[in-house]
Amino acid sequence: MAEGIDTRTDFVQTISYPRKGEDGAVIEIEKFSLWYGSHQALFDNTLNIERGLVTALIGPSGCGKSTLIRSLNRMNDLIDGLRISGTIRFNAENIYNPDVDVIGLRKRMGMVFQKPNPFPMTVADNVAYPLRVDGIRDRRVLDATVVRALKAAALWDEVKDRLNDNALGLSGGQQQRLCIARAIAGEPDVLLMDEPCSALDPLATAKIEDLIYELRGRYTIIIVTHNMQQAARVSDNTAFMYLGTLIEYGDTRTIFTNPKHGRTQDYVTGRFG
Amino acid sequence: MQPLGKEKNTYDGEHREPDKPLPQASRAHDVPTGSALAARGEPFLWGLGGALTLGISMIVGFIILILWNGLITFYPKPVCMATLKNSRIIAGEPTRSELYRVADEQMESLDPDVQDEIRANQGFASRTLYRTGNYDLYNEDFRWVSDFEVQSASMPPDIFFVERLEWGPFIGFIHSVRLRSQELKGESLELGSLYSEHLKAVRRRQDVRRIERSEIGAVNHKMEKERLALRRVALRHGEQSDAFQEAQARYQERVRALQAEYEQLHSEAESIKQNDAQYQVTLVDVSGREKTILLSDIVRFYPANALSTFQKLGVYVSRWLEFLTQEPREANTEGGVMPAIFGTFVMTVLMAIAVAPFGVMAALYLREYAKQGRLVSIIRICVNNLAGVPSIVYGVFGLGFFAYIVGASIDELFFRERLPSPTFGTGGLLWAALTLALLTVPVVIVATEEALAAVPQSMREGSLACGASKWQTIRHIVLPKAMPGIMTGLILAMARGAGEVAPLMLIGVVKLAPELPIDGFFPYLHLERSFMHLGFHIYDVGFQSRNSEAAKPMVFVTTLLLISLIAVMNAVAIYARNRLKRKYYVGHF
Repeated sequence: MAEGIDTRTDFVQTISYPRKGEDGAVIEIEKFSLWYGSHQALFDNTLNIERGLVTALIGPSGCGKSTLIRSLNRMNDLIDGLRISGTIRFNAENIYNPDVDVIGLRKRMGMVFQKPNPFPMTVADNVAYPLRVDGIRDRRVLDATVVRALKAAALWDEVKDRLNDNALGLSGGQQQRLCIARAIAGEPDVLLMDEPCSALDPLATAKIEDLIYELRGRYTIIIVTHNMQQAARVSDNTAFMYLGTLIEYGDTRTIFTNPKHGRTQDYVTGRFG
Repeated sequence: MQPLGKEKNTYDGEHREPDKPLPQASRAHDVPTGSALAARGEPFLWGLGGALTLGISMIVGFIILILWNGLITFYPKPVCMATLKNSRIIAGEPTRSELYRVADEQMESLDPDVQDEIRANQGFASRTLYRTGNYDLYNEDFRWVSDFEVQSASMPPDIFFVERLEWGPFIGFIHSVRLRSQELKGESLELGSLYSEHLKAVRRRQDVRRIERSEIGAVNHKMEKERLALRRVALRHGEQSDAFQEAQARYQERVRALQAEYEQLHSEAESIKQNDAQYQVTLVDVSGREKTILLSDIVRFYPANALSTFQKLGVYVSRWLEFLTQEPREANTEGGVMPAIFGTFVMTVLMAIAVAPFGVMAALYLREYAKQGRLVSIIRICVNNLAGVPSIVYGVFGLGFFAYIVGASIDELFFRERLPSPTFGTGGLLWAALTLALLTVPVVIVATEEALAAVPQSMREGSLACGASKWQTIRHIVLPKAMPGIMTGLILAMARGAGEVAPLMLIGVVKLAPELPIDGFFPYLHLERSFMHLGFHIYDVGFQSRNSEAAKPMVFVTTLLLISLIAVMNAVAIYARNRLKRKYYVGHF
């Protein structure tokens, strides 16, 4: 690696962790509803995602939390017959405005999916992919980004000798951290995680959780999870959704210890769901 | 705490008392053994296995038949000389024997003891087909000889099998050889020196051929170019114009020069020919009829019964080399098939070049961009149905559309000076390749669509989520991942296209092409030329030649060659695909 490249492994120390409500909302969702054809999946959801914090979306299967997170970077656009109403503002700009540059939007919101989906290329090419599609060809920049992103994703020590091996040869947990490295390589503002640990074993899950803990503050993280302990461990705020509706949203500790709604209480104590 | 319902569960193995009978309910599920067999699916399994075995054994049998017949054809066979009871003598290669029913009229003319023997054999007698050669003397190449006709048979060691440029093989003895003024005969005739003289004669023949074909051909080509240039001027400026007068004068001057060049080459060839005419060989057949031919008219000769295994292998290899590298002679029944191999190969490659981008782009649009709906479904059904259209229909379409409409327009625009003789306005290599591309495009589209559909949605989403555009996703993620599947489709298309004959008969394949589609004259690859094709060659040799018996082995050899050519092309494509696969699938978990 070339000299003088800022690999920034020490950001956890250098970046002050924001306190609640300090930095304001980065994403404002307002009366957002969504239909797949004639089936309504989301009903008038309103919530603000605070900058720099980890927000967990919990709720039983089919409650619309994945739909909601995929609406944030407009991944749902791929689906035919999709209809929406309401607004989602990202940095005060409505992302569903017709003149919004969807590609630019996605570049500012990294996404990690339920199943690790590394591309069939080398480890290094995987991480450099967001830069490559931006047209960056400078090897020095690409190399520096690869190192920085892999270190930030706590994967560097495991793959530093395998950068030119096929990414599909990594283990499941490593693949998922590679996907996180890829998502943060393009320096997004927000990191969307759609059940990032559901296909992983407990050890790999623990590593990802540690990683989320380290990444908070630097990125606004929104994580969808089925695992309530996970939500309790990693998140600052928690939103509980049920049947496409946001039931309760607030401080994680409050949601888990003293929820306002009976349904939230039932869910977080394992009485249903 | 005890699990709920544990006591109630009488089916639980641990808790059931030993002598307590099984509950009635489970008896109700007992079924007769016969239907149990059906339920387990055993008969279906046998059926499936049987179908596979049958299919494989048919294919293996077919391949063994082709291989065996194709491989033994060129191996020299011994020549048998038989003296018949009517004191005629015949000589030839025994090709095959069979039993046949002797006709009544024939029976009456036979000896009584022969008649008895045939009757004891229920009216059947055995006969052998001799390849007697000497078509110019006998007007036949093959002759059936019944076993009862034969008085005695022998294998004379000095009988020769002589392959000639014309009239097919000669089977007989070498009577004498004349080398200029020297006459060799009997004792003085030495085989070794004869072989070296023959080699020299063959070189002379090749010299003449080189002069006549390539050098005089080049002069003719230049003359034609000049004539076309003059015609262009006439078409542009009219025949009364000054420009035309000027061009005509120039033309005549150049043609005179070329004419002189031609005369010189011609006389050169003539002098070699005159020299060559002094080397002659006189052959004599078993019944004593003589035939004198030029030494250079002999392709190959060998003493059929006096060859060692090594020498036989030598003849075998030299025949294969001739077959693979020479042009056909004698209405395609002799000589080689090099132009046909070449034509098949060039056409298949052109077809693959045409069909690959066309099919892949169509499939990409259908699968990735088109809104999936009724219209796309209809298009997909149509594409699938196109694969089922009889190939001759494509031939008719190719001739009507490509040659007569597109080609005629091209001629009108670019080759006016050559009219009325068509350039692109008739069947040719390009139109044949495009017609076959049309024929095979459904295969490529269907295979590509399947390959694209097999690329996991999660990978596309991953790429899009990285901020890649749809095209970038397709270009960098989807296409590389689908490439092995696309290559498979292309391989299937090539295999189908290389084996197709029917449409080609209408759109450019001829039984004997005067020129190869690739040569030394600009633009080197002549897409408008008609060409030869192995598939059509098989049809032509097998069913259109004067002597089907002589052509039969050639059919097998050509079939073997066509199958090998397709196998080699497929092997190359499969190798390329596997390399791609390794590149994109290293160590999956």
